[in-house]
This record gives sequence, structure tokens and C-alpha cells, in this order.
Amino acid sequence: MKILVGCKLVPEDQDIVVQNDGTLDTSKAAPKISQFDLNAIQTAVDIKKENANATITALSVGGKKLENVKVRKDMLSRGLDELVVVTNEKYENILPHQTSKILSEVAKEQGFDLIICGDGSGDLYAQQTGIKLGALLDVPTVNGISEIVSIDENKIIAKRALENEVEVLEVPLPAVICVSADINEPSIPGMKAILAAGKKPVNVKEVVVEDSALVDLVEIRAPKKKERAHIIIEGDSEDQIAEFVNNLRKII
Amino acid sequence: MSKLSNVWVFSDTYSRLAEVISGGLELGQNVKAIVLTEDESKEAFAYGANEVFLIENSDSNNIVENYSKSIAKVIMNEGKSLILMPGTKRCKSLASLLSIELEAGLVTEVSEINIENNNINCRHMVYGGLANGLETITSEASIAVIASGTFENIQKDESKTGEAQKVDFVENKNSIKCIEKTSKEGSSVDLNKAKSIVAIGRGISKQEDISLAEELCKVMDAELGCSRPIAEGEKWMEHERYIGISSVMAKPEIYVAIGISGQIQHMVGAKDSQTIIAINKDKNAPIFDYADYGIVGDLYTVLPAVTKALKG
Repeated sequence: MKILVGCKLVPEDQDIVVQNDGTLDTSKAAPKISQFDLNAIQTAVDIKKENANATITALSVGGKKLENVKVRKDMLSRGLDELVVVTNEKYENILPHQTSKILSEVAKEQGFDLIICGDGSGDLYAQQTGIKLGALLDVPTVNGISEIVSIDENKIIAKRALENEVEVLEVPLPAVICVSADINEPSIPGMKAILAAGKKPVNVKEVVVEDSALVDLVEIRAPKKKERAHIIIEGDSEDQIAEFVNNLRKII
Repeated sequence: MSKLSNVWVFSDTYSRLAEVISGGLELGQNVKAIVLTEDESKEAFAYGANEVFLIENSDSNNIVENYSKSIAKVIMNEGKSLILMPGTKRCKSLASLLSIELEAGLVTEVSEINIENNNINCRHMVYGGLANGLETITSEASIAVIASGTFENIQKDESKTGEAQKVDFVENKNSIKCIEKTSKEGSSVDLNKAKSIVAIGRGISKQEDISLAEELCKVMDAELGCSRPIAEGEKWMEHERYIGISSVMAKPEIYVAIGISGQIQHMVGAKDSQTIIAINKDKNAPIFDYADYGIVGDLYTVLPAVTKALKG
């Protein structure tokens, strides 16, 4: 069984700085594997545990950050057999309709029984790439998978947690499934896996897709701050606390 | 803002049909709804849809996504335009499938939408709420999956009725079968609905001390929340109570931040509160930039005194 996993690098959100004009500075935010994609990798690893003949290849599309050896190793240390990367400066802020097209080209070339993606990415969270990939490949495709019940050569039985109900689905293979964050707890790679990662193959591919003008990303900006009263008391003496309480009584 | 001649709407969930039709009426002169049942067709007319298309299929094992080719065919036959859907899991996946079928530009989590020269401008949340992205859809067919609350729910007018146009189901070779459906137990905690929230952060040094904040919650009839270190680092509180990036986005009337420094990653989930109150010992903590009322002091002194005073 050949499993492909979609894997995106995103900036560490805790280190993104909002500048005065509302734009974001991500230059100090180190690239990391998008959280949902860790769940996707873990799903593949858990399937492989039960199916010894399974192989896991991760596919990643992105800009310069993807050339970083450390993050490539980080991906490989999580139970992958191989990593395929497609990098291009133009792919720095790539949108889902293009990412899915590139991934579909690579997936066709690689061949697959199952493709696992995260439900969305930690940066844009468009929640489109995996589903679009499935539609482009013309195979059964579904999102929100919260548990794999069973898997054999022909089908997966999986649970899908929706807003108010849980569906149990029979998905014929080959297929694309997108997993939610509660499907598993991604494990942290051990020393042995980290050392082994250095010896695993990284396959660099050139895939050029034409610029399709369906959607343009015009800007990303933090919303303006609300005006606040700023009535701040400096000190915690009895009188000061009493004054603070008086302020609170106006609203509580 | 200009209006489109036609807007398509679809909702997998009854309760969110009103909101997409409301959006359709705001953005277009004519609203065309696609529905899967007779009941839903009645609802769509009552909410003000001008035309309704009913896809007939009796296979109850079908999941909503299996209708993607049928829906695409209706839209292709009748004319491509903007399609509005609510931000449910099913509609998000259906929207992506349709975007390939219809070569449509798609934006999800849309919180604001306007039309300019037939281009659709959509604002939507990115980086877990830290910022908004502005995207323009330029394709002939366009799809916006809207966040709840983007459009006012409209009232039903039962006197508005109509006859749905019936269309055939298009077999889908990529069908997924639903073999069982169960309703889900929701978490008992829902900070999104709380009128008042008392939230704690790193300033609380021991797990037992959370009781100090719980006392204030009782007095104020507030829900207890926390910042990331308390839920993710210390794991003293459940994830449903963690306010901030990629988690709870609360809009309470009153928000009390205790021992929370006020990093942007937390504040994205609290900044829309009507009134913000801060207790923190560091007078340079960013939380005071967001606060309406604040006190610079030791929470272990201030908190019990405030609780006692408000109780009396």
C-alpha cells in the first residue's frame, strides 16, 4: 500500500510580530510543520504499523524555507520513508488552487493507494488543498476524518466528526482523506528516528503550473485595535484596590 | 456596492439556510437555492429565494458531497455566478469539489464580502485569527463559504411559496457511503456563549490557586478561561477553555484577565470583548494597552480582596 501525505511548512505562530501598520512580520518565526499535517503523518504511521507492506511518502510544496535541511530532517524523522519537495520562489505564498494542482501532478507520477492531508494549514487555513487534490485526481475525497476504524486494500472505514453528528463512512480506495486535529496525538520523534532521518531520501522535483487567475491574495493585515478607556490604577494598597472595585462596580 | 444579477445558495444544514439566503438577497437581485428535500424547498421559498432547484435522490446512504456533480450540472445549465454556502465541514468540502468542477475561485471562512465590478472581495481570518486576508475572486463562477454571523438571519414568511424545479441526480463514480450516523455529545464548556469570562495566565503560580479565580467567577456568574501556557503547557485546564490563536474566540461583555501578560496570540481571542479588565503586577505588560480598567498589583492580594468586595 502506497500512502502519500501532504505536508506544509508554516511560520511558528507564536513568533509572528504584528507591526504598527497591521502587517505581519514572519521573519523571526521559524518554519515548522503545520499542526494538522503532523496529524496526517501520524495517521499514515499508525496505518503502517498495522500494514507492514505500506510505504509513506510526504509531498511538500513551498518557497525558500523548504530548502532548509533542518526542517526536511524534521519531516523525515516522523516515520516517513521518503520526502518529495517542490520548491520555487513563486510558491512562497501559494494559494490552494495552485498547490493542489502541483500536488496532483506529483501524486500521478508517484502513484498511490491513499493520500492523507490535514484538514487545513496553520497559516491560511483555507481547508481546500486536500479536497481539491482529490477532485483533480478524480478519486473519492472527504474531510474531517477523526478516526480510522479499519483499512484494507479496497476500502477504508472511517469516522467523520461533523458539527452535530458523527458519520461512519466507507471510502473506496484509491482516495484522499483529510484528517482533523483530534484523530491522534502526533508523537515526538526519538533520537534514533532523528539520526535515521539524515539517511532517508529527499527527492527534489520541478513542477511548473501556469498561473491561474481564479483568486488573488491582496493583503494580510491584523485588524485595528478597539479604543479602550485605559483607567489603570498603579498599586495594590487597600485604598487602591477599593478604587479599582469602585470602577468595576460601574460595569459588573 | 454593486449587486450581481444572480446568487446561488446551498446549505447542508437547515438551520443555516436563512443566513445564506439573507446573504444572497443582499448581494444579488435574484436568489437561486439548490435543495435536496421538499421540506427544504418550502423553507427556501419562505426565506425569500426566487427560484429553487430540487435534486431528487432517494439513496439515504449518500453523503452530501456525492451531490457535487449534480449541483455543478444545475449551475452550469442555469449560469455560473457567486455561490454562497455556510461554513460547515460538509459545505467546505463540497465547495472545494465544486470549485474544480466549475473552475471557480473559492474563499472559506469569509467574514465580509463585497462586490466591485463583478469581482468578489472576501475578507477571511488567517493565522488562527491573528490577521485577516483579503482575497479577490475574478473567475466567472465564484464560491464564498461564510463564517457564521456574517449575514443577519432573515425571518421566514410562510406566505411566500413556490414550486421547485426538479433536476436529476448525476451518478458520481467517487461516491462515499455513509453506513452509520450518530449525534454527537457536545462539550459542556462553551466560552463563545459566555457573557462574562474570568481568564487566568502564567501569573497563577500553582494549580490550587485557580480556586481564587473560580471564587470570582461565582460572584460574577462568569465562565473560567485561560491563556495558552495554562492549557497547553501546564495542562491545568481543558483545551475548550483556552482563549487565543486557533482556539476560543470569545466576545463576552466583560473579560477579566488575571496574571495574563496580553501577548497578541492570546488577545486575538479576547480583544473583541466589550469591556476588558486587567490585573497584573507588571505595569508594562501589553494587557494594559487593551484594558478599560486595570490595576497594577499582586494578584494574590488583589484577587481575594476584589472577590470579597463584590460579594458584599
